[in-house]
Parts: sequence; structure tokens; C-alpha cells
Amino acid sequence: MRLRENKKINPRTVILIVWLCLIAVLVLAIVIIGLPHGEKSETIKEVMRDSVLHETNRISLFGLQVNPALISAYIVTGVLLLFALILRIFVIPRFKYVPGRFQTAVEAVTEFFTGLADKNSPHKPGFVGAYIFSVGLYIFFGTLFELFGIQAVTTHGTGISLPAPVADINGAIAVGVTSYLVILFAGFIVRGVKGGLGVLKDFSLPVSMSFRLFGALLSGLLVTELVYYYTALSFVLPVIVGVLFTLLHALIQTYVLTTLVSIFYGEATEPKLKKEKTKKIKKGENQ
Amino acid sequence: MNAPLNIDVVQILLHMLNLVILVGGLSLILYKPIVKFLKQRRQYYDDLEKKHAEYEKEYEKFESEKQQLLADAEAQAQQCRQQAERQIAEMTKRYADEAKARADAVIRAAEDEAEARKRSILESAQTEIGELVLSATQKLLQDGANEKTDSALYDEFIRTANAADGKKKK
Repeated sequence: MRLRENKKINPRTVILIVWLCLIAVLVLAIVIIGLPHGEKSETIKEVMRDSVLHETNRISLFGLQVNPALISAYIVTGVLLLFALILRIFVIPRFKYVPGRFQTAVEAVTEFFTGLADKNSPHKPGFVGAYIFSVGLYIFFGTLFELFGIQAVTTHGTGISLPAPVADINGAIAVGVTSYLVILFAGFIVRGVKGGLGVLKDFSLPVSMSFRLFGALLSGLLVTELVYYYTALSFVLPVIVGVLFTLLHALIQTYVLTTLVSIFYGEATEPKLKKEKTKKIKKGENQ
Repeated sequence: MNAPLNIDVVQILLHMLNLVILVGGLSLILYKPIVKFLKQRRQYYDDLEKKHAEYEKEYEKFESEKQQLLADAEAQAQQCRQQAERQIAEMTKRYADEAKARADAVIRAAEDEAEARKRSILESAQTEIGELVLSATQKLLQDGANEKTDSALYDEFIRTANAADGKKKK
């Protein structure tokens, strides 16, 4: 018994190890797949096409040519982590039971995501709460990121305004696939093989989530472009409309994706009733 | 590695790596500490609420005990009052009876004393009358006294005295 007790590993350590392993696997996969495979260039002819597909204007990231949205993604992540670190060190230790304005705002954001997780995934709300909190902040601030118009230099030497991370199809697919994998592994871990297979049946989920996100941001982008075009002579309206559209679809997409993920996560981790019980209930209902 | 729509597996993986770092980092640095704090605060207020409920129950218990004590005290006071009233009534009656008895005794004593005085007055009056009679008799005798009348008077006197003595003895 004592030996067994000694062998028990702290769950936090396990989570940390899994997280680091995941990062290592992804880095390895990127290095293996991403090694130079010759030239890959396509002529772009339309500005709109490039703003949608990011085919021409690429940025060099440690020798790897990537879409500008990837740089945006890393900048957003860096800023968010830095902000989180500042909050963790300077603000959270000073949290009071009767909160001030800033603390109320921080708590409200956190409670929104924990509430969503508790409501849609009542059986296992722990991890999905943390996941949708992080992804929600990423999508929201990532979408707002395009408003800052941060400039970067392309491989052609021209300047480009960095777009929202999920305005790139690769970023949207990454969010969709990661969310799907989270749901899939939760199904396997919580309900075993049956749960995992149940999630596997919904293989269209990552595609739908990715393209919904991409489509929503794309539509927002196109509408904003149109407004800019028709009100080109105005100095106020395009700015207001652009900011409002960006803010609105940032909020909507954050809400939609986090809600969907929490619902599917809840379905995947929901314990199923045994058939006998179901039959009895049905019989009881018929009577 | 490019596919239609500029889908690039490497970039997807880079985005995923970014997401994994972000999710792990934000969860550990921000989400968990905030959730922990929120749970602590909820626990604190739940405890306060429980304590408040306990205090309220205790207060209600004390209140009911107080009401019970007050009711008991009221009943006890009523009982004491009634008992005191009974005792007062008894004492009053007793004092009245005693006073009446004493008054009766005083009256009896006064009557006895009056009777005794009357008797003594009468006795003294009889003595005085006797003396008066004697002196009147002596005066009469001085005027017309002789041996015969004297002896007749002495005899008469002895008879009268004997007769009076006999009455007293009866």
C-alpha cells in the first residue's frame, strides 16, 4: 500500500508533462514537414484574393515563409501571455472579496466562460472551461488585433498590415481541429473507447467549426471592405463602421465557437444511461 | 505542402502549437488562479451564510426559550400573587377573629369587674346602712334604753345575723 501511495504522481505534474510533450510533438512535426520543399509561389492578381487567401504577401519566420496571420497569432499569444503574467503577479494576489471595477471585469470574463462550461458540460466542466476561456480570449483579441494595423515587412520587401489570426484559413482550421481534438480526447478519457468513437462519428465537426470561423471573419472583412469602398470620402463613418463590425464579429465568433465547443465537449463527456434503465423509463412513460 | 485555398499543413501546425502554448499558459497563469479565488470567495460567503443561518436558528431558539421563561415567570408570579392573596385573606380573618376574641374577653372582664364592683358597693352600702341603723338605734336606745329592750335588740340582731349567714352559706 505504501509503495502504491509513493508511486502516485501529482495530476498537475501529469498535465504539465502532457502539455510539454504536445508542444514538443508539434514542434517536431513542424520541423519535419516544414523543411524547404523547393519554391512554392503563385502569382497574385487581385488584392482581394490576397487579403482572403494570403497567397502572395508572406513573411519570413526563422527562414520559413508564412502567412502574416501566423505572425499575428504569435503576437496575440505573446501579448495575452504577458498580460496574464502581469495580472498573475501584480493583480490577482491583491484580489479582494469586495471587488473593484477592474477585478469585476476580470471576474465577469472568467465567470462567463466557467458559466458556459458548467451549463453545457455539467459533468466535466474543468478543462473545457479553461480551454474555451483561452480560445475565447484568443479569438476576441485576435479579431480586434487587425484594428491596430500593425505593419510587417513581406518577403518582397513591401509593408503589410497584419490581419486577424483566424482571418487566415490555416488559423481557422487550427482552431477547429484543436477544438475537435480536445473534444475527441475528452471523449476517450472520460467515456473510454465508446466515447471516443462517438466523437469520431462527428468528423465533420472540425471542418464545420473551421469554415464557420473563417467564413464569419471573411464575411466581416468583406463587408468592412465594401463599407470602406462606398464611403471612401467620409473620414468618420468607415472608421466607426469598421470598428463596430470588427468588434461585433469578434464578440459573435467568440460566443459561437466557445458555445459549440462546450456543447460538444459536454455531449462527449456525458455519461450514457444503461439500456435496461432506458427501457424501464420508456415503459414507465408509456404506462 | 500547399493545398487549395492556401491551406498549409505546416502553418496549421504552427497555429496549433501557438494555441497549445496559449491554452496551457493562460490556464495555468490566469484561469486557474482566478477560478480558485472565485471558489474561495464563494466558500467564504457560503460559510458566512451558514453561520448566519446557524445564528438565526440559535436566536430563534433563545427567543423561544425567553418566551417560555417569561411565560413561566408570569405563571409563577400569578401563582405567588394568588397564594399571597390567600395568605392575606387567612391572616385578615385570623386577626379579626383574634381581635374579636380579645374584645370579647375584655368585655367579659369589664362585665365581671363591674359586677364585682357593684357587689362590693352593695356590700359596703349594706355595712354603711347597718352602721347607720346601729347609730340610729343607739340614739334611740340612748333616749329609751333599758335592759329588756337591749336584750331584745341583741336577740333580734343575732337572729338577723344568723339568717343572713344561712343565706350566704346556701
